[in-house]
Amino acid sequence: MASEKIRKVAAMNILARIRRIPFWSWFWFILGALYFLLPLYATLNFSLRMERDVIGFKAYIRAFEDPDFLKTFLYSNVLALFTIIASIILIVPTAYWIRLRLPEARRIVEFITLLPFVVPAIILVFGLIRIYSSPIKIPFTDIKLLQPLTTFEVGTDILIVAGYMVLGLPYMYRSVDTGMRTVDVRTLTEAAQSLGAGWFTIIVRVILPNIRAALLSGALLTFAIVVGEVTLASFLGVPAFGPYLFLLGQHRAYEPAALSFASFLLTWVAMGLIQLFTGGQGQAAGTH
Amino acid sequence: MAQTALNKKGSSPASDWKKWIGVFPFFLFAILFLVLPSLRLFVGSFTNAEGQFTIANILQLFQEQSILDAYWLSIRISAATALGGGIFGFLLAYSVTVGGLPKPLRSALITFSGVASNFAGVPLAFAFIATLGRTGFVTALIKNLFGVNLYQQTDFDLYSFWGLSLTYMYFQFPLMVLIMAPALDGLKREWREAAENLGASTTQYWLRVALPVLLPSILGSMILLFGNAFGAYATAYALTGGRLGIITIQIGAQIRGDVLHNPGLGYAMAMGMVVVMAISLIGYSWLQKRSERWLR
Amino acid sequence: MTHLALTNVSKHFGDFMAVRDFNLDVKKGEFVSFLGPSGCGKTTTLRMIAGFEIPTSGTISIEGVDITNKAPSQRNVGMVFQSYALFPNMTVAQNIGFGLRIRKEKEAAVTDRVKEMLSIINLENKADSYPYQLSGGQMQRVALARALAIRPEVLLLDEPLSALDAKIRVSLRAEIRSIQQKLGITAIYVTHDQEEALSLSDRIVVMNTGEMEQIGTPFEIYNFPTTVFSANFVGTLNNASAEVVDPANGLISIDGVQFESAVNLKERKKGDKVRVAIRPERLSFVSEQKKANVVDATIESITFLGSVVRIKVKIGDTKFNMDTFNNPFLDLPQIGAVEQVTCSREAVLVLDE
Repeated sequence: MASEKIRKVAAMNILARIRRIPFWSWFWFILGALYFLLPLYATLNFSLRMERDVIGFKAYIRAFEDPDFLKTFLYSNVLALFTIIASIILIVPTAYWIRLRLPEARRIVEFITLLPFVVPAIILVFGLIRIYSSPIKIPFTDIKLLQPLTTFEVGTDILIVAGYMVLGLPYMYRSVDTGMRTVDVRTLTEAAQSLGAGWFTIIVRVILPNIRAALLSGALLTFAIVVGEVTLASFLGVPAFGPYLFLLGQHRAYEPAALSFASFLLTWVAMGLIQLFTGGQGQAAGTH
Repeated sequence: MAQTALNKKGSSPASDWKKWIGVFPFFLFAILFLVLPSLRLFVGSFTNAEGQFTIANILQLFQEQSILDAYWLSIRISAATALGGGIFGFLLAYSVTVGGLPKPLRSALITFSGVASNFAGVPLAFAFIATLGRTGFVTALIKNLFGVNLYQQTDFDLYSFWGLSLTYMYFQFPLMVLIMAPALDGLKREWREAAENLGASTTQYWLRVALPVLLPSILGSMILLFGNAFGAYATAYALTGGRLGIITIQIGAQIRGDVLHNPGLGYAMAMGMVVVMAISLIGYSWLQKRSERWLR
Repeated sequence: MTHLALTNVSKHFGDFMAVRDFNLDVKKGEFVSFLGPSGCGKTTTLRMIAGFEIPTSGTISIEGVDITNKAPSQRNVGMVFQSYALFPNMTVAQNIGFGLRIRKEKEAAVTDRVKEMLSIINLENKADSYPYQLSGGQMQRVALARALAIRPEVLLLDEPLSALDAKIRVSLRAEIRSIQQKLGITAIYVTHDQEEALSLSDRIVVMNTGEMEQIGTPFEIYNFPTTVFSANFVGTLNNASAEVVDPANGLISIDGVQFESAVNLKERKKGDKVRVAIRPERLSFVSEQKKANVVDATIESITFLGSVVRIKVKIGDTKFNMDTFNNPFLDLPQIGAVEQVTCSREAVLVLDE
């Protein structure tokens, strides 16, 4: 009788354990995992089959050896670097100024940082091209201030860096602003001033180092946006990685798959680094 | 806000003006590269071929069938992916928060969502071609497992409305997860316990308390998803090569060459897009504020 | 007449023993507090009565009906949470009526009951307000009304006042007690604040690391603590190690200074080490009134605490706090002076070490 009771209790325990497994949660999660992982697997699988019946990295080797790949990838990286630096130079002092001296400007500045949502890449590039393909004149006269930016290379470089800065504006500003709030820049500044530091010293040696995490996270996000970007790059005619990848897809099959998978890994590394530095939620950005 | 020792001068008009110097570079940048381009489009949409003011372009937006079709197609895709992405994204976020899956799965999902929501454009299109294209992995899988040839026996085509929608989901689901996970965390455990204590079953709790509290957040996120899909260009172009006539693709064609033979109309199309995006952003912001009130 | 009974209730969380062998019989309409520091198991025990935790062993019953394994939604106990847990999407009236609507009561009955509860908690004018529009004290009253609206058998309160300001806490706790007495409802109140427990309860259960230290009325717990923990936790206390000198006559010695205690020491032997506790307010100067014990004390410091003056003295090698009521004509001694201090035999509490 006792052993029967023990068996019953054991059975009840197993049942209780099973009842506690959240069936539907697992169902949705596994479904989601399948949806997300299958395309990655398909791309990887395809990219490894360049040589007939052999799983190999031929596609990767071919792709990375292409001189155009190196050229455009390098170009995009340099573009990203310039965008990041220019963004930091523009945004950090502005955010700092607003925190310390001009809180009244906060609302309008935050409104401006929301505008890129309303003006997606395709619209932005439309406007940029139309404005900067004619010379910039003083209104109502014929005096030319600037040749049309779109007609010379450095001009388009300037345009695209500016365009990328606009696209990254919401994230960069929010990141920097939050970083400054967390670190309480006001108190830091007052402490530095009481020790005799001038403005330049304060920004470069006190503020910037303390918002490092925020800067890194904003920089990595900008990097992720810029390297794969296609819309601005192709319409402005710059030799960036995005248009190169697209063109490659018109002529070849395996190399684009290889580069796509590689770019996914690159994005993963960038976002992973962001997680590392901020330890928080992931951020959503990017041109679609 | 209190004035600090940094600002020794009083509030005289002269120093008020000086205060704004610090934000001048930012405003200049915004004007040059954000406001002016948008303004150019705005003004252009009200300009006719002779350079005079007209509202004919705007009117024509609503008369030109091809344009209306483009808007309608974009709206349908955006709505479909907003709804589908919203619902499934919510269920995913639910499963790793309230749904009780182990903690590591939650971090994995959140990290992956951060990555996936940025993995759009050309690589995403190629990935889906490799998956569901004519020689795609899943296409072959379905043929082998179920004997069904996707492209011959069904209406399915990756380079169509449903194909593009399915592709868009890849960044819509994660966006929803990233927004809803914190919102679901905001559901206090005590609410469920209080409801249970007062006699409610789990279903009653969800219907009467949890879902109503989450509703502004859910709706707001779906609106954001809508805007997100509406403004997308690169993925669609890379996937369908411009064959699918959504509004962003039409605008792209217009930029390359004045296919409409009416620049003003092109600008009007762009402005129409901006209006839709603005409405979506306003809707999202308003709902976000309401949800913050409850999920403090 | 036992209304709520907990019998041999224990709760494990893996290896951790949260509650051990809890036994309590509560009469109908009685107000019992669970008092103890964080982690002592008081909230866990309360949650077992509510049904949010299931005991590892033991039973809980109400009016003789075993509810140990019943789902929380089937128990008809009303719970007030520390964080109020008001449903943010519902008005005050809707919150209060929630339980009744779940029970499918007629709308008219619900409206009447809600009105009744609103007048009991004095918030008729806030019926259509939302929780985010209310202050902390108001939210807690609504939470109370919501729990009482369903006419529960037992009212459970989990540190309901700890999130509130001190002043509101005092007025609200009086309100809670008066409502409880008016409705005659059995109540279990969890708190770490001994003043709350002392002022509200019919009986207090002092708890420590999962075990019941002592049960008794506030008067008993304060004046006759049975364990060192109870004595220390409730009220302030002077605490000293002592040695038994003469068990038959109740004599103990602290650092060589002899005290006579009224506690029965016949079970002990000479030389036993014990713990002695004396409440600060039971020590006084001989000049006021001479009592059984008279000892020499060196004045170390005098602190003015408002209505009470706290004098630190040294008796033998041990420091004691002496509390005396403040009055403008108090004749305070000098620091460093040696004065004679007295206390009664009953004031010398002998506890197990």
